[in-house]
Amino acid sequence: MFVATLLKRWIGLSLLLGAAGCNLQKDIDVDLPAVPSQLVTECYLRPGEIPRLTVSETTPYLSTAQPTLLTDVTVTLTLPNGQQQKLQFRPGLDRLTQKIYTHIGQRALVARPGDTFTLDVQDSKGRHVTGTATMPALVPLDTVEWKFNDKTGEQRKAYVLTKFRDPAATADFYRLQIHKDSISVDSERDFTLDDRLTNGTQMTLGTSYRFSANDTLLITLYHLDEPYYRFLQSVDDARNANGNPFAQPAAIRSTVQGGVGVFTVLSSDRRTIIVK
Amino acid sequence: MRLPLLAVCLSLLALVLLPRAGQAQARYTLTGFIRSGADKSVLPGASVAVPALGTGATADSTGQYALTLPAGRHQLVISFIGYQSQTRELNLTHNQRLSFSLPESRNELGEVTVVGSGTLEQKLQTPQMSVEHLTTREAKLLPALFGEVDLLKTLQLKPGVQNGGEGTGGLYVRGGSADQNLFLLDDAVVYNPSHLFGLFSVFNPDAVQSVDLYKGGFPAQYGGRLSSVVDVKLREGDPQKYSVSGGLGLISSRLTLEGPIVKDKGAFIVSGRRTYFDVFTRQINKLNKNTEDYSPIPDYYFSDFNAKANYKLGAKDQLFLTGYYGRDVFGFNSTNGFNFDFSWGNTVGSLRWNHVFSPKLFVNTTVSATRYQYSIANKLDQFAFSLSSDIQDYAVRTDFEYAPDDRHVFKAGATATSHLFGVGRLQAGSQDGSLNIGSDVQYHGQEASLYAADNFKATDKLQLEYGLRLTGFRSGSDWFGGLEPRASARYSLTPKTSLKASYAQMYQYVHLVTNSGASLPTDIWYPSRLNVKPQRSQQVATGVSFLLLGGQYLLTNEVYYKWARNQVDFRDGAQLFANADLDAEFLFGKGWSYGNELYLEKKTGRTTGWVGYTLAWTQRNFQPQRGTTGINNGKDFFPTYDRRHNLTVVVLHQLTERLNLTGSFVYTSGAPTTLPAGRFQLQDIFGAGDQLGGNPVPIYPDRNTYRLAPYHRLDLGVVYKLKPRHGESDLTFSVYNAYNRRNPYFVYFDQVKDKATDQVTSYRARQVSLFPVIPSVTYNFKF
Repeated sequence: MFVATLLKRWIGLSLLLGAAGCNLQKDIDVDLPAVPSQLVTECYLRPGEIPRLTVSETTPYLSTAQPTLLTDVTVTLTLPNGQQQKLQFRPGLDRLTQKIYTHIGQRALVARPGDTFTLDVQDSKGRHVTGTATMPALVPLDTVEWKFNDKTGEQRKAYVLTKFRDPAATADFYRLQIHKDSISVDSERDFTLDDRLTNGTQMTLGTSYRFSANDTLLITLYHLDEPYYRFLQSVDDARNANGNPFAQPAAIRSTVQGGVGVFTVLSSDRRTIIVK
Repeated sequence: MRLPLLAVCLSLLALVLLPRAGQAQARYTLTGFIRSGADKSVLPGASVAVPALGTGATADSTGQYALTLPAGRHQLVISFIGYQSQTRELNLTHNQRLSFSLPESRNELGEVTVVGSGTLEQKLQTPQMSVEHLTTREAKLLPALFGEVDLLKTLQLKPGVQNGGEGTGGLYVRGGSADQNLFLLDDAVVYNPSHLFGLFSVFNPDAVQSVDLYKGGFPAQYGGRLSSVVDVKLREGDPQKYSVSGGLGLISSRLTLEGPIVKDKGAFIVSGRRTYFDVFTRQINKLNKNTEDYSPIPDYYFSDFNAKANYKLGAKDQLFLTGYYGRDVFGFNSTNGFNFDFSWGNTVGSLRWNHVFSPKLFVNTTVSATRYQYSIANKLDQFAFSLSSDIQDYAVRTDFEYAPDDRHVFKAGATATSHLFGVGRLQAGSQDGSLNIGSDVQYHGQEASLYAADNFKATDKLQLEYGLRLTGFRSGSDWFGGLEPRASARYSLTPKTSLKASYAQMYQYVHLVTNSGASLPTDIWYPSRLNVKPQRSQQVATGVSFLLLGGQYLLTNEVYYKWARNQVDFRDGAQLFANADLDAEFLFGKGWSYGNELYLEKKTGRTTGWVGYTLAWTQRNFQPQRGTTGINNGKDFFPTYDRRHNLTVVVLHQLTERLNLTGSFVYTSGAPTTLPAGRFQLQDIFGAGDQLGGNPVPIYPDRNTYRLAPYHRLDLGVVYKLKPRHGESDLTFSVYNAYNRRNPYFVYFDQVKDKATDQVTSYRARQVSLFPVIPSVTYNFKF
């Protein structure tokens, strides 16, 4: 899949660049079908963190780029013990994550692997989104190691290898991120993968020679639930289909019902290393 | 229903095998080859006629004819368009073998060297409908993209045939998809007929004699794909003298050598071509190697090599050996440790033995092998990754033809094929051994068929061709089979007006695994299995043909309807590579297409050509299944190759003995495509993605609801024959897209940003075109 995707992207990009270079592109008017606007929710629960959620809505593609803030949405989070927690409408910017949120809880979340949470989102227009998410088991990073090439000066670079053991009894899905210096910036590397070919084995993921001496790296391994993994795939496929004649348009596989978006509980392990 | 059909099949076989003594008295059969006098290549479609008796015969795809006549003196007229007709006197006293050579008529202004099979009169009379015959000589005169003559693209100019997009060679025949075409090269299957992602076909025009495209009314000897048969025959080489021919073009060069093995007993032809993009790109890379931030252009070239030899073992036996080897090679080696090598191509070989039992009965037996493979090797520092896939066939087929009298021609035969589907072989590892992943998925399959058919002249007005094909396929413990009745008929209302009708049922046991809108080299073939049932189609067609203006024009109108079952597609996000459970990714649906094809052609005189107009509809339906909502939520949709209107005009004019002018015009309704109707913003998790205002996620509505702008294009060409001291040569000038139409290739949505703040302010739709006006010149020679 990776190869086909790579190939299609390469061809698509070449066509776009070639067409741009030869003045073979032009703006056109298109008459798009009207589709009803849906609620979009984005909520990643993390143990020990105050729950935050972003609600927006789908818009016609060629409408103005300015997002509309929805002020009439009520959000209820149901905890594993059945207790319901209202998330307050209090839009803001999380300084740590640099993410915008519209609703926020009051207490830090207590969550253990296997705990199931339920989300209920409603607005005054009758739009109603629900979702359920169960926290995956923690899969710890076994080893994080690095190795320098035999070059000198600025050419001296290191690669990083991360290893972890995949549980044999289940189909598992992962996301591995490597950040430099701070997790608030975009990652240096971001992989998503499943264990289809490596079930029950030690899994190894690595980078090319790209890190310099004394770089501080934060390596985060997320053990994902399958719906979230499929959602990520479908988002990637949908984005890739815009501007690539070789790609098939893909429907978004939301993890929520009644709208679009994702509701999941993140289970992660993180290591911080200084490459020396 | 099936038992009577089986009975018909067995009866036909019996008819072939049983002696028919009662009809042999005082009638004898004349058989032989009809060849070109210039290079001795066979001329399928050429005719031998006896005007006094109002009868005649047409050479088959191997150039052989069989004609049964009363004993006595006859005057034979042997003719083929583009060649000088010959008249021969004959006293027929016994069954006799007699071959003919026709001189080319290229220097006669009255007959331009352009054309298709047989005369228009023959097309009017044959019960076979929905077939297009094309010779290399015809294709070579027409203007072509980059001057590269391409037989498949010329076929796209025929009614009922759509292309898969600007410049590509894929064929979409009467609503069928690109994987539903059977490509045969001298009876061996070619699985991927494309170079460079479909921009060029693998068939080198210098090596090809002719191409027959069957769109419907399939003769019983063909099977295995639902929508068309593309039967390519290679030239056989000149058995009398050696010659070298070739051409220099903008992007490739060709060279062909042919001559006798033993004079008049055997001949050979070898032909090769290679592109030279890579020669230029390497120089560009070399010149820029010290340029900062320069990204080297990847190396790419394709080459192919054809060879064919034939040898007469005796009066009744002849061998034909054919080989093809082609590769596309793509390589990228960066200075930062990233290497990427990708190659793909076909390897094809066949050996045919032609044996004449008697003037009334001959047989062709062919053994063939074919393989399509691709391999990718990717290396990044200490990590290496490789992926390969292939399909290999070993096949044997035998085809009998028996012409007991001038009313019947029986054909019967059998094929057996062993398939090996190398679905995916993946290896990923690191130098230190800490990473080592491997996967290898392979399946075996066996396919067999048995057929019998009769071409029966019931009366002077009514001619029938009917037959039955029995097919079977096995993969592991899964068995499939099907009966494929075939029938076509011609009724002559007047000497210049014919009515025709046909019916064909087809099974397809192998499936192309692709989730792309176009054919990519990484598409893989997959067998029918327990959860992947064979594809099946039925097609009915009816038509009327008129010979107009003293036989100079043939006007044909055909109407068709095709039903298809078990059409395949794949679920969103399907894992198509190295997946041991690929069966689970398939989705199955039904399809139907119908249309009307109007075709006016002229084959003689200084001005020749054709006008074709097709009005057609093609639809698919994939109901919810296998835990999915199907495709398009179970609603009918138009596939991307549905086109409502298609008009082609092709004109070839011989201005002088040395100068030919050609032009072709195409108009096609807009292609269906899917554009995102909506969008939403996704921020992603902590440490990834965008804030609101970044790259939006598109939301796609129903499939293929938007139509691109109509496609139209005019190509012009000039062929100017030079006068070299030795041999012959010409310059071929082409102008592709002469009025520089910006035809839509695809549409995408882009962000519009404020230049001062770099903030996204709005979105816009952009149409991308592929080819502007492209002039080219090609130099061709022969000596």
